Amino acid sequence: MGGVSTTIGGSAMRREWRTFDLQLFVYVLLLITFGVVMGYSASYNDPAPAGALSQPVKTVIWAAIGLTIYFVAASVDYHWLQTFTGPIYLAVLGLLALTMVLGTSLFGAQMSISVAGLDFQFSEVSKVLMIVVLGSFLAGRRGRIGRLSTIVGATALMAVPTFLVFRQPDLGTALVFVAILAGMLFMSGASIGWLAIFTGAVVAAAPFAIGALQDYQRQRLFCFLDPYADAQGACYQLVQALNAVGSGGLFGQGLTAGRQNQAGLLPVQSTDFIFTVVAEELGLVGSLLLLGLFALLLWRILRIGWDARDALGSMVAVGLASLILFQVLVNVGMVIGVMPVTGIPLPFVTYGGSSLISLLFGMGILQSVRVHAEKPTF
Amino acid sequence: MADLNEGRGRDLPRSRARFLAFGLAGILIFVALAGRLVQLQIVDGATYERRAAAVGSVEVAIPAARGLIFDREGRPLAVNVPSWTVKARPADLPGERTGLVLGEVASVTGTSPLELRARLDAFHGSPYDLVPLARGIDRPAALLLGERAVALPGIVVEAEPIRRYLDENGAVDGSLLSHVVGYTGPVAADELDALEADGYLPDDAIGRAGVEASYEEELRGTYGSRLVERDADGRTGAVLDTVRQPVAGPNLQLTIDARVQRTATEALQWGMDAVGVKQGVTIVMNPQTGEILAMTSLPAYDNNKFADGISGTDYQAYLTADGQPLRNHAISDIYPPGSTFKLVTAIGALEEGVTTATQRWPTYGCYQIPGAPNGQCLFDWNRKGFGPLDMTDAFAVSSDTYFYQMAVKLGVDRLGHWAEQLGFGQPTEIRLPGEADGIVASTRWAQSQGRPSVFTGELAQAGIGQNVIAVTPLQLLNAYAALANGGHLMRPQIVRGLAADDGTLLAPAAPEILGEVGASDATLQTMRIGTREVITTGHAYNIRDLRLPGALSGKTGTAEFGEPTSEGTLPFHSWFVAYLPSTPGATDADLAVVTFAYSAVVPGNVSLEVVKYFLQQYYGLDQDLRLDPRDFSLVAAN
Repeated sequence: MGGVSTTIGGSAMRREWRTFDLQLFVYVLLLITFGVVMGYSASYNDPAPAGALSQPVKTVIWAAIGLTIYFVAASVDYHWLQTFTGPIYLAVLGLLALTMVLGTSLFGAQMSISVAGLDFQFSEVSKVLMIVVLGSFLAGRRGRIGRLSTIVGATALMAVPTFLVFRQPDLGTALVFVAILAGMLFMSGASIGWLAIFTGAVVAAAPFAIGALQDYQRQRLFCFLDPYADAQGACYQLVQALNAVGSGGLFGQGLTAGRQNQAGLLPVQSTDFIFTVVAEELGLVGSLLLLGLFALLLWRILRIGWDARDALGSMVAVGLASLILFQVLVNVGMVIGVMPVTGIPLPFVTYGGSSLISLLFGMGILQSVRVHAEKPTF
Repeated sequence: MADLNEGRGRDLPRSRARFLAFGLAGILIFVALAGRLVQLQIVDGATYERRAAAVGSVEVAIPAARGLIFDREGRPLAVNVPSWTVKARPADLPGERTGLVLGEVASVTGTSPLELRARLDAFHGSPYDLVPLARGIDRPAALLLGERAVALPGIVVEAEPIRRYLDENGAVDGSLLSHVVGYTGPVAADELDALEADGYLPDDAIGRAGVEASYEEELRGTYGSRLVERDADGRTGAVLDTVRQPVAGPNLQLTIDARVQRTATEALQWGMDAVGVKQGVTIVMNPQTGEILAMTSLPAYDNNKFADGISGTDYQAYLTADGQPLRNHAISDIYPPGSTFKLVTAIGALEEGVTTATQRWPTYGCYQIPGAPNGQCLFDWNRKGFGPLDMTDAFAVSSDTYFYQMAVKLGVDRLGHWAEQLGFGQPTEIRLPGEADGIVASTRWAQSQGRPSVFTGELAQAGIGQNVIAVTPLQLLNAYAALANGGHLMRPQIVRGLAADDGTLLAPAAPEILGEVGASDATLQTMRIGTREVITTGHAYNIRDLRLPGALSGKTGTAEFGEPTSEGTLPFHSWFVAYLPSTPGATDADLAVVTFAYSAVVPGNVSLEVVKYFLQQYYGLDQDLRLDPRDFSLVAAN
């Protein structure tokens, strides 16, 4: 725990804050701001009931909480996480199991637990925690990384929480877990040959997984292949989204002026389909701006991963990069009809405290990786 | 594997190639997403924009105010009053706690939770549609539910007009005219497919009985429509545009005079109570125009119960009640007309040359059926005969054996022909729903029953309105109206025309002649004398002593049916049909009345007593010649 003490010493701290990654922080702030603005527009015609906080105000409060956690995590040497890998893993399993038992039904899926009125989705924070768990595991495989046991072990670690969220049923988070696993294994230097075989096995197993889905999940899943075949039924949401995105044009219809958004025509427009509001109201320019921000953020995260002092820091970075890249791909892809409809939030932008706070926690660890990139000098 | 250790002394070798591969994958993903966005927003943007405009709104109907119904004096009989309806939106009901919510609604509205649940379960539309649970909620209950809205998710209270049926004094009492005015009820789920094309809504009212049903198209008016936003779940929102304003249904003025209806109803009820009859009909019409002034079918029902959405138990009670209160016996049920039918036999016999008006025919105590074994005979009603009689005398004393002979000599098809000429065996075409055809014996009718023709005995009985003849009370009245008006078979009229909002007549409908009886003036004159003699010399007893404004003519009838009672007599229906002019010195009758009493078991003609009482009241006579019920037998029952 020597690392912890270094963060408290005053001179050490000043030196470390010099290495504070301003780019990472700015990109994250810009994305959150984007989310607040779009949330404001999405809820423009749907004011909060008297006495309740409006959606953008709540997002700002969550962001404040999240940023506090970000700075705390940034100031703490991330190595202590490695020490607690076992308890963290058990906590993830426990929380996910608890969610299954206690979870309230939101859109038919048991995904959240209410704590003091705030619906907290443990599946969100478990994504970040599993990145830490997997990072610790892979970092500990030093020298044996190319062996099959690396892939088997990592897969086994990830399989249990994946199964738990899949059973909630939360197909989206399950897929994110798989993506994190794949991304981290690939970047860890695991055997490409074995990875290819594993990927083949997963692809071969996909039909069985699809068979285990609920009817409604399956129907929505395949809408993207031909949404207008069932435009009034299972694919209604997707059709609405496509119409909204398409009518955005180059510059969009203007903030809070999107016809589909303001008519309440977009499905869950402030959550999973927030990108439709961006596309409809801010047009191609706004959409590309948002995608550009994500690209910059990812580039920065990979940069931090490359520069990291040790394997754990590098692994956490590539895990977070996998998470964000996958969620952006699937969320935006879903809205524009190139990916199946699954409930995956757009990082930082989708309305929801659990996702935002968890991601800021993850970014905080990343900042800590950056801050502690230099070998500590005593 | 290009395992380039560029770890700069760190604890894990990291591969530049894999970092580059990851970055490349990311770039590819972003380029692909951007490309798709360009395709959607720029290349195909116009297509999607057009689609977006098309699905954002939905046209929703605006119900039109239903036309009011007035009587001929402008008294309101059916009005729309503001009311509240409790509705549920299934999508917003709180799952397993729905039972609690329904229980709360039931306790406030005074209904049963089970009934509310049944109405909810019977609904099979979109979960965002509103399902009416209880109509006709009073204001305090509506306010109370409004206050508890937060505790009652999915429950909506909507103001919507409800139909109220009034009596002649404007009091809420529909039973006076329930069979004529009818009622509206909700469209059933299984009818909606057929009705949707005509613009009916899942939660719509439709006329179910009486004028409400037969004039549905007019009363309903023209629904308007407006463009309403629709969200992704199919939930409708704010109004965008009113496409078409609704046009209220026109008001109707009935030919009915509600006061006359009351008089007729009271007289009928008095007579039925006097002899313990459970079912009866009185119809009053103007024989010159066919206008129905009153049409009473007892027992009646309370149509206001239907307007509120009748409860299962109330409806079941009506279905199983004595005397079938939901049926309009005046037009929907057919009964043997008995001696009143002798008018048909008489006109047929005179027109077909079977007899002349003055030719006298023997009458018998029992008439031997021609071709039947000796001793198979049909009794005259007095079992003695009346000696030789001419047509008018035979009609006045209602000799059965005289008319057996006429019917047998006419034959079944010529008798049937004249029955049809007088409007029997076919609807009178009054614009009320559920009119029965009746039965008129003919060879064709017999063959439809699977035999070559009717038996001679049946034919003889048909001549006195028994056995193979069945008529509605309205058909009988209409036939005598044709006799009174010179041979025109009128279409009985129930709606006089369109009315203003205050009930005044705007556009009177012209009387309609459906056809001519086709009998000579001489024949009709003979029969008018015959009907007059029924009153003056026949056995209508003391009704002749009423100081009426004009000369009363009429005919009594009894028709035996069913199984003998313990005393060996058959129960019988009693009939009396009459007409008279209402102004002294006039010859054209302007008032015709028929009364029918179902299954009387006391001797005598209760229907004649009912008509007598009605006429006393109708003309405001200071006489009361009603017999004590114990003396009804003084009035010969035939």
